[in-house]
Amino acid sequence: METISIILLFITFFGLLAYGVPVAYSIGISTTLTLLLNIAFMPAITTACQRMTTGIDNFALLAIPFFILAGEVMNRGGIANRLIAFAKSLIGSLPGGMLYVNTLAAMLFGAISGSAIAAASAIGSTLTEKMAKDGYPRDFSAAVNITSSTTGLLIPPSNVFIIFALASGGTASVAALFIAGYIPGLLVGASIMFMIYLYGKRKGLPMGERVSMKQLFIDFKSAILSLSLLFIVVGGIVGGIFTATEAAAIAVVYAVILGFVNRELKLKDFKSILLTSAKTTAIVMFLICTSMAMSWLFSFESIPQMFTDFLIESVKNPFLVLLVINITLLVVGTFMDMTPAVLIFTPIFLPVVMALGMHPVQFGMVMVLNLCIGICTPPVGTLLFVGSGVAKVPVTKVIKKLMPILGVMTIVLLIITYVPAISLWLPRFFGLIE
Amino acid sequence: MQKTYTFLSKSIENILVAIFGLLVIDVVWQVASRYIIGQSSSFTEEFARFSLIWLAVLGAAYINGQKEGHLSMDFLVTKLPPKKQVARKKYIQLFMILFALVVMIIGGGNLVYITLKLGQTSPALHIPLGYVYAIVPVSGLLIIFFCIHRILENEE
Amino acid sequence: SEIKDKKVLYFAHSLPITHPVHKGILAFQESLNEKSEGKLQLKIFPDAQLGSERETLELLQIGSVAMTKVSAASMSSFAPEYEVLGIPYLFKDSEHLFNVLEGDIGKELLAAGSEYLLRGICFYDAGSRSFYAKERAIQTPSDLKGMKIRVMNDKMSVDMVNTLGGSATPMAYGELYTALQQKVVDGAENNIPSFVTSNHYEICKYYTFDEHSMIPDVVVMSSTFWKTLSETEKKWVQDAANESVVKEKQYWKETVEENMKVLEEANVQFIYPDKTLFSNQADALTKTLMQDPKKKAMIERIRAVGAN
Ligand code: NA
Ligand code: NA
Repeated sequence: METISIILLFITFFGLLAYGVPVAYSIGISTTLTLLLNIAFMPAITTACQRMTTGIDNFALLAIPFFILAGEVMNRGGIANRLIAFAKSLIGSLPGGMLYVNTLAAMLFGAISGSAIAAASAIGSTLTEKMAKDGYPRDFSAAVNITSSTTGLLIPPSNVFIIFALASGGTASVAALFIAGYIPGLLVGASIMFMIYLYGKRKGLPMGERVSMKQLFIDFKSAILSLSLLFIVVGGIVGGIFTATEAAAIAVVYAVILGFVNRELKLKDFKSILLTSAKTTAIVMFLICTSMAMSWLFSFESIPQMFTDFLIESVKNPFLVLLVINITLLVVGTFMDMTPAVLIFTPIFLPVVMALGMHPVQFGMVMVLNLCIGICTPPVGTLLFVGSGVAKVPVTKVIKKLMPILGVMTIVLLIITYVPAISLWLPRFFGLIE
Repeated sequence: MQKTYTFLSKSIENILVAIFGLLVIDVVWQVASRYIIGQSSSFTEEFARFSLIWLAVLGAAYINGQKEGHLSMDFLVTKLPPKKQVARKKYIQLFMILFALVVMIIGGGNLVYITLKLGQTSPALHIPLGYVYAIVPVSGLLIIFFCIHRILENEE
Repeated sequence: SEIKDKKVLYFAHSLPITHPVHKGILAFQESLNEKSEGKLQLKIFPDAQLGSERETLELLQIGSVAMTKVSAASMSSFAPEYEVLGIPYLFKDSEHLFNVLEGDIGKELLAAGSEYLLRGICFYDAGSRSFYAKERAIQTPSDLKGMKIRVMNDKMSVDMVNTLGGSATPMAYGELYTALQQKVVDGAENNIPSFVTSNHYEICKYYTFDEHSMIPDVVVMSSTFWKTLSETEKKWVQDAANESVVKEKQYWKETVEENMKVLEEANVQFIYPDKTLFSNQADALTKTLMQDPKKKAMIERIRAVGAN
């Protein structure tokens, strides 16, 4: 029975997905069909509906709309410009300086806003013309902008970790995941900078301008208010002052106050800000709704148990199991967006890696970084399309320059997969995990 | 049809903005009261959780009525010849209508019926759980309306 | 060999497999398998795999899950009759409790659930619940002042903690570990086996034996499934359940003894307070409840059982 269920579930799901049915609906329809195979009609459809609603009946999930809202409030302000100016006076003087500036600014903006798309479009659109004029190749600049924007998903706060915590069934706490994200995020940023250095050595890049200490101080001052959000949010969570949800609410208040202080926000803007955020929230939350129904079906059919038995029995070597999981996720990442991929594959793979002794927090890092690569690859690469769009270069040209950078990100991924300390040292240091 | 569409979209927009606004005030108040009064109330948490359900499900219906729509992997659809693309988009709407009808309206309606008839109430606010779930069949109806609207729009 | 026409009942609950109540359920499973010669089987889903207690009860009403084990406190949001079991200091000791649960009142309560499609099968011992805290020892009710105490998601638990002077914070059981760690709450209240299997003792080093309530666990079957069973099958279920009750009480006792050793080794400080300080303060809540004539009658009946 279970085998038939798995086959029906995955065939209908991937079939509907390929047909063009929205992901949330593909998940919902395939789940309902599989439930009907096991339960009578009325209880089956009512259960599907109950799981959809109770799946998001969770106070921890409220952090998602709030971080989205805080990000939206900040997007309306001139934060991108302030962060770019700060990054420029910090590292702009290196050869190929503007590429480092792009990387650092995208990391900072991504860290604050928690959205890779927002980072790529805000930073990319501000820098792109100036860089092209200075002689930076558009395609390579776009590749740098795209990949460095993914770091915001690893560096806290990050909604994808909240979703991972939910999908992990509470085995990984949001606070631990947030703290654990720093080192992988910084490693990815550093590896991108290394690739810029190599590229510059081979091709030659324009020299940067040196700035005075005074200018650095001025730029730092104008960026500090935005940057301090990171300390308030993350410090508050780690210090046990408030939960991730409360931190997200505080981030909203802080962003609003900052918007007024900087005179970039007006009262009449609020309706459109709330509506835009509500739309983003609804898309993510509806995906979570149907995914939670699917994940209930997984438990009902003992599917994770079957995967665990199968992978561990047939592959045996733990090293290879982790490799198989990573390759599967890389393939999944090419055609699936991050949120549905995390929601669907966490319940399946987490029990496998936990059986091998991997900490759920470490698997969170592996999964998110793996799917960060996925959002940069075609055919479904939201970040790739946004990044190419703002840089005004064809996607195909960007892909060529992306490949080496994605290659080095894959190396970082493997290091994170096989070296637990990179993910676990910081949360252990702060006493967030044993 | 167009008039109803505009009316419904605008009304849902206002409701979503109102729910989101209340949600922010509610949780900010919860945090503040924990630090200022030293007491947190179970009402604010329950209200927030239920509002999130409404925001998500009603918002999902609203997205069905918007051009950008829900997230989909349409890279195979865009490879089809234009005429076939139009037909394909119509069938995709039919799948969503089917889901909204079976799961959200019939299943959701049954869930509302069961929870109201058997009288389950929420622990803090003491409101019938049926009211919370009621947003599902309502959104199901809205989704069907928006899908039909989309089909007719594409045929023009 | 494959048994023809075998029925499998899905049984979901939210406790970990190390918990004595889970062992009781395993005894139920084994006994049912023996009695029915494999024709009626249980498939057990522990650890809230199929949802929280509230959600699972709803799934029983919907008819997709056959059985569950929940705290009687969770039942009270569905079947208000169960609310009385949560009244603080209502039962003198576990003998009194089980005289009530295994007598007429218990039978009435189990039957009362049918009106809500939730047929009670049997009660399991869940010991007595006491406070535990992270940063300070609770000696008297006044120590509870200003402390945020996690309670179960039902009205009685909220009122009980608030009456005793604390600040009740209802929260899902699964979220509690992190909440304690992050000081979102200062403490909680539960029985010894739950305190240990949840690993809360790693964080909270003060356990106060004030024993404010003795809320039992209850095994429930969806009325939809109950109706599909033949008279013989119903008897198998009921007999197997009754046998498991005896075993569960034994497991509970053994586990508490083992757990106390674990707690001692973990340097948890036990506080044995003057319980009358707590029960006197809790009287205010009982008095309020007794303004309802129905509840008053039930409370008096329960007290009368104790006199036997
Ligand atoms: Na971030
Ligand atoms: Na991709």
